[in-house]
Amino acid sequence: MKQLTTVESMYSCVRCGACREACPTLSITGREADGPRGRVLMARNLIEGVIPVNDEIKEQLDRCLLCSACVDACPVDVAVPDIVMMAKEKISEVSPQKGVTGTVGKWIFRKLLPFPRRLQKLGHLLWIYQKSGLQNVVRKLGVMKLFPESLQQMERAMPEILPPSRRSPHPPLTPSERKDQNGPSHSAPRAALFQGCIMDMMFRSTNENTIRFLAKSGFDVVTPGQQVCCGALHTHNGEKQTAVQLAKKNIEVFEQANVDYIVSNAGGCGAMLREYEELFRDDPEWLPRARKFCQKVKDVSEVAVQKGTVPQAAGQGERITYQPSCHLQYVMGVKDAPKKLLRSVADAQYVELPEAGYCCGSAGIYNLLQEQMANDILDKKMGNVAKTRANVIVTANPGCLLQMKMGIERAGMKGSVEAVHIVDYMVEAMERNNQSQTAENQEKLQMQSV
Amino acid sequence: MDGRIIVRLEQLFGKERVLTNQTDLMTYSYDASFATQLEPKEPEIVVIPQSTEEISACVKLANEYKVPLYPRGAGTAQTGGPVPVMGGIVMDLSRMNRILEIDHKNMQVVIEPGVVQANLNNALKEYGLFFPPDPGSAKMCTIGGMVANNSSGLRAVKYGNTRFYVLGLEVVLPTGDVIITGGSKSKALKSVSGYDLAHLMVGSEGTLGIITKLRLKVLPLPPGRGIVLCSFSKLEQAGEAVNALFRSGILPSALEIMDQQCTKAANLMRPQLALPENEALLVIEADGSKEEVASQVKRITEVIRQFTDYVKFSDEPEECQQLWQARQIVGAATGRLKPGGFRVYGGEDICVPLSRLPETLRKIHEIARSYNIVCAIYGHIGDGNLHTSPVINRRDKEEIENAKKMIEDIHRLAIEMEGTTTAEHGVGIVRAQYMEIEHGTALEVMKAIKRTLDPNNILNPGKMALPV
Repeated sequence: MKQLTTVESMYSCVRCGACREACPTLSITGREADGPRGRVLMARNLIEGVIPVNDEIKEQLDRCLLCSACVDACPVDVAVPDIVMMAKEKISEVSPQKGVTGTVGKWIFRKLLPFPRRLQKLGHLLWIYQKSGLQNVVRKLGVMKLFPESLQQMERAMPEILPPSRRSPHPPLTPSERKDQNGPSHSAPRAALFQGCIMDMMFRSTNENTIRFLAKSGFDVVTPGQQVCCGALHTHNGEKQTAVQLAKKNIEVFEQANVDYIVSNAGGCGAMLREYEELFRDDPEWLPRARKFCQKVKDVSEVAVQKGTVPQAAGQGERITYQPSCHLQYVMGVKDAPKKLLRSVADAQYVELPEAGYCCGSAGIYNLLQEQMANDILDKKMGNVAKTRANVIVTANPGCLLQMKMGIERAGMKGSVEAVHIVDYMVEAMERNNQSQTAENQEKLQMQSV
Repeated sequence: MDGRIIVRLEQLFGKERVLTNQTDLMTYSYDASFATQLEPKEPEIVVIPQSTEEISACVKLANEYKVPLYPRGAGTAQTGGPVPVMGGIVMDLSRMNRILEIDHKNMQVVIEPGVVQANLNNALKEYGLFFPPDPGSAKMCTIGGMVANNSSGLRAVKYGNTRFYVLGLEVVLPTGDVIITGGSKSKALKSVSGYDLAHLMVGSEGTLGIITKLRLKVLPLPPGRGIVLCSFSKLEQAGEAVNALFRSGILPSALEIMDQQCTKAANLMRPQLALPENEALLVIEADGSKEEVASQVKRITEVIRQFTDYVKFSDEPEECQQLWQARQIVGAATGRLKPGGFRVYGGEDICVPLSRLPETLRKIHEIARSYNIVCAIYGHIGDGNLHTSPVINRRDKEEIENAKKMIEDIHRLAIEMEGTTTAEHGVGIVRAQYMEIEHGTALEVMKAIKRTLDPNNILNPGKMALPV
């Protein structure tokens, strides 16, 4: 749990400015109010009642990506995103969000995300949209032109949804494939897949690959069917009560699963899961259970590098770069593990992305709400991608992945650069290595028989 | 203020770069000083320029409408220097952050004022060069601000302060005219032609001109470094050890002291450091080639061993990083000395003669005790510069009042010890009241210079005890 409460941390900011160079929005506009120091002061003045709740302060605080890069840079751990959220909660108490965004938002947070079955139904609809030809019609007619630019780009970047028949529940247990090396399978560490809500609907195959990746790396993988959404989007949008309910459900489900690790493949979800303790700071009954849960939460790269044995993987001569997920690098503190994996791939060249520390601008639904700023951030990011001359951008979070795909569209790099999730990239590269080894072995056998 | 100036500024900068929102103004009401935490002061307008031409035109407008103008870098000052105490316009220069030229053949660079120190050094690394002045805020402070305050840092004991590296400056004068000091077309590394105007600007804290371009000298980057960490049961021993080092012909690249409270704080933040909590801890750095470093480290430890048995040293990069950690985290760690502690930046930059350092440290602790304030002291013992760090509860009114009195006492003590109230941070508003005691009639000359260059008192008024 964090050492300081949000209020304490708000009062410990000495305004030294160590956060300035870390902040993506400040790097775009240079306005102090677009930087962490400014935000802490504005939030504090709002909370103390020095300034009134109005549109101006709301707009200023809404521009924060909540990426946590500033917390990482802060010598005294001022929890800027928490402070901004506290102020936003006060704003929504005083003037609840009106209009369509407010109503639709509430419906999504309260009635859609918490219910896996409803999400699967939405998945069916999206699949029908893509497969029935409707998507083609929409694209040909240019219907999307009626929508904001970011939605248009997002529509184009949307991954292909798997048909309902291929989205049945994951197998409850997938045993480790490394029994031979690691002795009998019961000695393999047990890892539970946290499948996520949108992740499992839109990036189903990445979840399947995560199971494969973990099993290949020596884990028995279980996937508890009763798990629910992590609650990250709820916490970031002032729906804390729903988040608490979701957290309780997940804690119960994963206690029953009896595992060593709870593995996430989405930085955003993993960070939320690791912060469950914060949700129960004042709840002595749930706090110890939450703490135990949090200690088991690992990112897929992290757990594979630290606790597994990752099989050899092979590329095909490509240049790869890595765009970290902010929640993964700053909240979960996982910085090197994904790079370690990528560097280990044979026949591929890993190139460091300049200014990789900056958020890509995806940040949950920030790219929909703050279109201009998100696009400025993304364009800057793509400029840095171009400098690496990489053909593959590897990401570690679905939001970042979609954003990178949009970035490739915007920068006109389609065809020369692709964006992939690290697990998908690794599994493909492992299988490629496997095939070429099998081929080699066969060749050897043939040679011997000759 | 005349509303028409806003229209004129918007014509000059475009609406995007002229800020008048209440919330925007609020965020320019402070720097890193304790004084502006307690009493922030908002500007009426903020402008974000991108070129010398814009700055010159803006200064001319300020003269036309008689509105004060305050240049600001990253706002990391601990003096209130960039804060608009008389109202008016704040000019945020942090966006002018381009490195214009790395002229490695001539050992110099040309940059804009908003370049952050660490970013310049990152860019210089591939040329095997570096810009030596390294304040604790190197990761965020702008070099324009460093020049305006003549800052320095850990390595000043060997490499000196910012002043030594300024070859020439492009400056927008308080009237809006633009000059280039140090020879308008010169690329020379030395010049004594004419009055040294560049060094009149260095340390002028934005009262005599706005620096818009800088030509700076750079040095070869030493390939290696070594660290010696040693602990002393008595402060006086640490003082004697430093003196002995210098007299044996050793000039370390950093020579840092941490007192007992500092080591305690560092241990609280990183228990694995396990530092001995004696009266004084010295962290000494040597730099140069691998062989030079090894031999220096050996000589340093030999000298130090005459005064204490607790000596650790290394010239391996990773181990050095370990030994250096204590010094690196101390600024932030002091807050841990008290639950919910807030580290006060005040009385934080005194400098005293080396011979009076142990005595000064003891007296500062006496002052802190008299106000019942937790206080840690660290600093650059190699040049007598002490960073006092009182830790208080930010919401305790009585403690805030006591801290203010304590800061005053520390500044008076520095003068009594034949030292100065500020070695590298500057005067701003927080040390203006000592200008007369420190400078006597020389202050009158400063005032005369200010009046001559800035007849309308436009640039950064209300600072350094200059006329308002």
